[in-house]
Amino acid sequence: MICSIIPPYMLKRLAAQDAPRFSAVRRAAKEALLHVKTVQAARTAPAPVTPPGLRQVQPAPPDRSVYDAKSAESLPGVLVRKEGEAPVGDPAADEAYDGLGHTHSLYADVFGRNSIDGQGMPLNATVHFGKLYDNAFWDGQQMVFGDGDGEIFERFTRSLSVIGHELAHGVTQFSAGLAYRNQAGAINESISDVFGALVEQYFRKQSTADASWLIGEDLFTSQVEGTALRSMKAPGTAYDDDVLGKDPQPDSMDAYVRTSADNGGVHINSGIPNRAFCLVAQAIGGNAWEAPGQIWYETLTGGSLPPTATFSVFAKATAASARELFGDGSAEHDAVREAWETVKVKH
Amino acid sequence: MKITVERSGGIAALTRTWTVQATTSSDKSHWQPIVEACPWDAVPDSRQVSDGQPDRFMYSIRAGQRRATLPERAVTGPWRVLVETTRAAAEQTPRNGTATGIRS
Repeated sequence: MICSIIPPYMLKRLAAQDAPRFSAVRRAAKEALLHVKTVQAARTAPAPVTPPGLRQVQPAPPDRSVYDAKSAESLPGVLVRKEGEAPVGDPAADEAYDGLGHTHSLYADVFGRNSIDGQGMPLNATVHFGKLYDNAFWDGQQMVFGDGDGEIFERFTRSLSVIGHELAHGVTQFSAGLAYRNQAGAINESISDVFGALVEQYFRKQSTADASWLIGEDLFTSQVEGTALRSMKAPGTAYDDDVLGKDPQPDSMDAYVRTSADNGGVHINSGIPNRAFCLVAQAIGGNAWEAPGQIWYETLTGGSLPPTATFSVFAKATAASARELFGDGSAEHDAVREAWETVKVKH
Repeated sequence: MKITVERSGGIAALTRTWTVQATTSSDKSHWQPIVEACPWDAVPDSRQVSDGQPDRFMYSIRAGQRRATLPERAVTGPWRVLVETTRAAAEQTPRNGTATGIRS
């Protein structure tokens, strides 16, 4: 068990240092604060979603396996590459292997998380799923990637943010357990976009200002008028195409979409919390996987987010996490509250 | 008889719709057994339908007066035959096969 000799108020001051020379101190203080919060939560929460002590586990190296479904739809398929083995020359298999590793790095290095479940879960992926399959998904235990149809979509392993998105569904499953319908489902989707974007930004070492904030860049073929599946910075602007239509994501509650399709529009209304996160990152500056990512990660894994959370409940939870980590009225706390105001979510 | 298959969801959240019109008696005799092979009465309330797997597709299927909403994993057997036959037929006739953004 990790114990901290530095009191929480001092950790908060250290965590709030924004000068570049304090970056290591800042990160260490934030991690220590997360441990403190975990211990506090374990003392007060009657039934934490995440078993106590997970954050005390030293993250283990990744344990990756990539399978080939060979255009069938049975999982996992034929094992083509295991941990530590050399590239096999199949772009889909090698991109999946690398993407799993980059995702593991974000959680281990930045959040101290031991794989997707916090307990060293092996990372498995299947590529070449189905025939011309236009999708990628997390099946509760592993990643699955289609090859795309070649007309609208390229293979889904091309986008690191998509790989990070899918594995974040696993993190959500093993932490807050958010429902996959209506606003809770849209939060579930948004969290996957947030951490998918962070995986990509952390790998590329891109600051908030440098990042594209696009999800699924490089997935569309050249025939499509669009840059990505979604834009976190400007929801609703990722594509506008004769065949696909216009990106339907709203950027505030004013344009909230009520629909029965897509489990109540989980991929549509996720634009609202997506933009809120991007606004927080822009207000704080620097690297989004630092303070903004810590706030969202703490909200997701802290044990207080209900599975049926609405946008308003989630907004309040992120503000509470920011206050807990950085102090009441801190720049981070203000950034979170202002972001939710901008997208018109009550908090 | 008008048959429509609408596929929503997926990580891309692009709703695609495939429609065929069975107007001639020959068309109807082709589509009728495919439609009637599906267990329309055994489909749960669409508000209760959930796949439990993030980013999987959802299918909304209509044939005449009959409607069903199914998660991707439930599109098997006669449902899969209906979906794939409709899609193939619609794609052979471009004006009947449309791909659109989400429609509320």
